[in-house]
Amino acid sequence: MGASEGLMQEGFITTSVDTVLNWTRTGSMWPMAFGLACCAVEMMHAGAARYDLDRFGIVFRPSPRQADLMVVAGTLCNKMAPALRKVYDQMAEPRWVVSMGSCANGGGYYHYSYSVVRGCDRVVPVDVYIPGCPPTAEALIYGLVQLHNKIKRTSTIAR
Amino acid sequence: MAARITQLKTALEAALDGKIVSLREALGELSLEVKAQDYPAVARALHDTQSLGFEQLMDLCGVDYSEYGDGSRRGARYAVVVHLLSVAHNWRLRLRVFVSDDEFPVVESVTGVWASAGWYEREAFDLYGIMFSGHPDLRRILTDYGFIGHPFRKDFPIYGNVEMRYDPEQKRVIYEPVSIEPREVTPRIIREQTFGAPVPGK
Repeated sequence: MGASEGLMQEGFITTSVDTVLNWTRTGSMWPMAFGLACCAVEMMHAGAARYDLDRFGIVFRPSPRQADLMVVAGTLCNKMAPALRKVYDQMAEPRWVVSMGSCANGGGYYHYSYSVVRGCDRVVPVDVYIPGCPPTAEALIYGLVQLHNKIKRTSTIAR
Repeated sequence: MAARITQLKTALEAALDGKIVSLREALGELSLEVKAQDYPAVARALHDTQSLGFEQLMDLCGVDYSEYGDGSRRGARYAVVVHLLSVAHNWRLRLRVFVSDDEFPVVESVTGVWASAGWYEREAFDLYGIMFSGHPDLRRILTDYGFIGHPFRKDFPIYGNVEMRYDPEQKRVIYEPVSIEPREVTPRIIREQTFGAPVPGK
């Protein structure tokens, strides 16, 4: 990691505020896991012993107020959509949304149903889409690492 | 096994005699059909009679027969099918009652006999529109709160009439008319006409 290499060589770090901020944001990203359907089980797998998410600093928080990431895992039905939007609105900036599984990406298996929102991006803005039905726990971790890369690449405090 | 079914058949004929429209046996199961006006009396008799002893209602659902078979069916459109279990006698029964009116389907509720019918009747009302008179709390159970329509009816399109998205001006989710095209079902598996038929000689 760029910050610690400098420390090894010189004894002090020169870095930018952006790098430090992004390092803190990606180093401890707390998701408000919105497990709706079967993808929630794969999310549980990702958080369990074999593919540990805790080693990434990702601990699942039950409240949106304490979270900075929302993983929409599962089919979003019309009845759930206002609640999803409300939970998203309760999260504090900076916040990101990961859409997990084909149902959250674009309606998925139930795309032609009368009671399914065809993709959670109709309701909340999404940063990373993870394909799969369900995506394997490894794929979810890959998607979260891609989100880390996106944050390091695009997140800045310059306004 | 067959003896148990015959035993149940004779017990039903003894207890219900005039009210049975048809009593069919197939695949080791018994299906009883009654008329809508006899339905509450039959339900009470099935529950109370010792020789029948159906203490438990396992399932209640609605059926829409408008596209049954080749579509040439004449008769009532809606039916209510009830699955009953007798724990004392260890036998099951399927009870079917056709709803008399197609435009305004109403049957009696059996929640007075079997309390477990409560939510099942709510589901049949929500998905088919079959109303149950005497139900203590008949409201929707599965569809969205402002949903219009009865989705499991055969004339309701599978993609529905409205779809949902978030509107940033109104700051809430809104319904809009459906924008997707219905799915074109292309047969991916082409088989011969005689596929699966028993081969003579085997």
